[in-house]
Amino acid sequence: MINWFLLGIGATAAVILLFRDWRLTFSALLLNNISLALFLAQQRFVAPDLRLLGLEVSTLVVVKLICGIAVTLILTITALTFSREYGLENLDEFGLAELRRAARAAQRQRASTPFQLSDYVVPFWSGVLALLASLALPRIYPIAPSEGIDFAWYWLTLTGLLTIATASDLLKIGLGLLLCASAIDLLYTAVVSTPEASGLNVAPLTLLSAFNILLALAIAYLSGLLYGRLKTLELSALYGR
Amino acid sequence: MTYLLLIFFPMTMAASTFVLRRQTELVIFAALGTVLAQLLIATQIPVDDPTRFLGITLTLSPLNRVFMLLFLTIGGFAMIGAWHLPHGENFIPIALLILSQVCTVLLLQDPFITTLLLAATGLTAVLAIVDLPAGASNLVGTQAIAAALKYLVLMSVAAVLMYIAFVLTDIYRPGELPGRISPARFILALLVVGFALRLALIPFHTWLTDLVDRAEPLVAALIITLLNTTSLLVLILVFQSYPNLLLESEGAHGVMRLGAIVSALAGGLLAVGQAALRRTLAYLILYDCGMVFYGLASVSSIGLAGAIFGALNQTLAVTLLFVSLGLLERPDGRAPGVIRRDLLRRWPVAGAGFLVGGLVLIGLPPLNGAISQILIYQAAAQRGWDELLPLVLATLLAGVGLARVAAERLLGPSEVEGEAEPPLLGEIDLDRPAPRRLAPEPRSTAALTLVLLVLCLGIGLYPQALLATIDEAIRGLSFLRAL
Repeated sequence: MINWFLLGIGATAAVILLFRDWRLTFSALLLNNISLALFLAQQRFVAPDLRLLGLEVSTLVVVKLICGIAVTLILTITALTFSREYGLENLDEFGLAELRRAARAAQRQRASTPFQLSDYVVPFWSGVLALLASLALPRIYPIAPSEGIDFAWYWLTLTGLLTIATASDLLKIGLGLLLCASAIDLLYTAVVSTPEASGLNVAPLTLLSAFNILLALAIAYLSGLLYGRLKTLELSALYGR
Repeated sequence: MTYLLLIFFPMTMAASTFVLRRQTELVIFAALGTVLAQLLIATQIPVDDPTRFLGITLTLSPLNRVFMLLFLTIGGFAMIGAWHLPHGENFIPIALLILSQVCTVLLLQDPFITTLLLAATGLTAVLAIVDLPAGASNLVGTQAIAAALKYLVLMSVAAVLMYIAFVLTDIYRPGELPGRISPARFILALLVVGFALRLALIPFHTWLTDLVDRAEPLVAALIITLLNTTSLLVLILVFQSYPNLLLESEGAHGVMRLGAIVSALAGGLLAVGQAALRRTLAYLILYDCGMVFYGLASVSSIGLAGAIFGALNQTLAVTLLFVSLGLLERPDGRAPGVIRRDLLRRWPVAGAGFLVGGLVLIGLPPLNGAISQILIYQAAAQRGWDELLPLVLATLLAGVGLARVAAERLLGPSEVEGEAEPPLLGEIDLDRPAPRRLAPEPRSTAALTLVLLVLCLGIGLYPQALLATIDEAIRGLSFLRAL
């Protein structure tokens, strides 16, 4: 029996690891969060206490869903408003000239780096390794109540870390961190809700959601700063100077 | 009520000062008032008297109270330093927010909430790293953005590792699953790497060198003193809450001690190779972080006393060093772009502050660092010469690094222009430029440096009161008795 929500978590995390275009990766992030919320609803770690659209769900699932949508919205709004200029009125001539230079350099870089299949080789093979590890680890070191949950959190953690390791731009690093945050969220909810554990507490769950949103805000802020400074989000431009 | 006041009062004041952030003087006064009120509230909270709020237990141990008072004092010092030293537009609101978060961490016992709050402090600190002064006409430096990004990523990864470890401790029962590898080692490994990232132990230290290099001195001081020391206190709380992690993984203690020795040695060695003030400072701090972690990893009463006292001394020394650095880096009225070698003559108080701060870190008597270093050496001596000698060597190397930077940047002959040249033919006194008068150090910051100097000396001469509190706190740590 195929668990479509688990498949959704896996596929969307893979898209985030592999692709560079923010339109694609942000959509994948949204779908990843929706799949995760539906997976939590399906596993019933917390007894349902709400009835929405004929479905019985717990408040926890709704909170996770809202948090996921908020995180994606924060990043999407940031990406959509990159082209706007802020705070130029305080800059002196040197600052303005540096900005113009940065814009020209970014334009040259964009023009000179067309689509190359080789850019996807490392993320692809690291994804394959992560998949093998995520399939093996639930048998070698089971932690969660079921193999499916173990696969989900191992996969999210590994793809998150590999996304950070293979990222070429700042937004991708943020997406990797958000995947890792989703992984610990799932692990906490799944493991601590078991009878032998201490039981779910509202405060850590609330703080986890708040941490996700704060992380998205921090990434959005840094991305805005970097784009405002270099007119690109490429890490090569950031570390190459 | 007082607990909530301690948590939420600085938070609301942070919001207020953010609104008024362009009125620097008013904001600094408001923040100083907040810190004083916080100090008063912290002294009113009864020690070891837990209370429940929304299902969370809040309590203040004697040790945490000492550190809370210290952090609030350091916060106050940073506010005073902000009067003259360069800082970002949002420095005061961010500092208040960090103080609020740190106070909350010190009051909490729940490892999940503590981990997330530590991660949140990291996110808050990122804002301070890339903060520009009000009305700045320049752009934020790309290297500052890179340092902030590195800090954000590493602190988030540390939080993820620590959180996974705490989830595992929640379901881990000692002695279960005979014949299988104990999960205690895996949990301890996750925790050690997570905390090593937070405590900047080599090789997990790169964020600290970048931070010291690129951030404003006050920001770096606040992050290193408040956040690193809080992380160390949380690690002690973790060992206290889960003593089985240490009991079931005895071999891992040796690895932890080895890591600490390597960190101290590498920090000392790298300090020797530097001539820049900031880099030397960064490596001296890394050396001291290694020493402090060794005290903790020795898992002995004497070592732990050295680690806790060392963390306290490090907090004071790092504040002194960064305040002095801020003063040393001020435009001094002479031609810019020249590497000066007479900084002690030009800025006597700041130069002396920098030297004394460095000497505190390497533990020279009669300064406060000496006592903690001796305790750590004693803990190492109990383990044998093979652990004591590398630590002594690390201290010697750090000392050489400090001596090198002092010789190259601080103790050189005066570079102030000498006698005026004789007038040229037809030139009169009115034609000549007025003699340049070099401004002295700003009084408030010089006074702050002197206060920190006196504190370091005072604690070094009379450490009994603090050591008694630390000893009492250590006697209450059951994991030491269990080991």
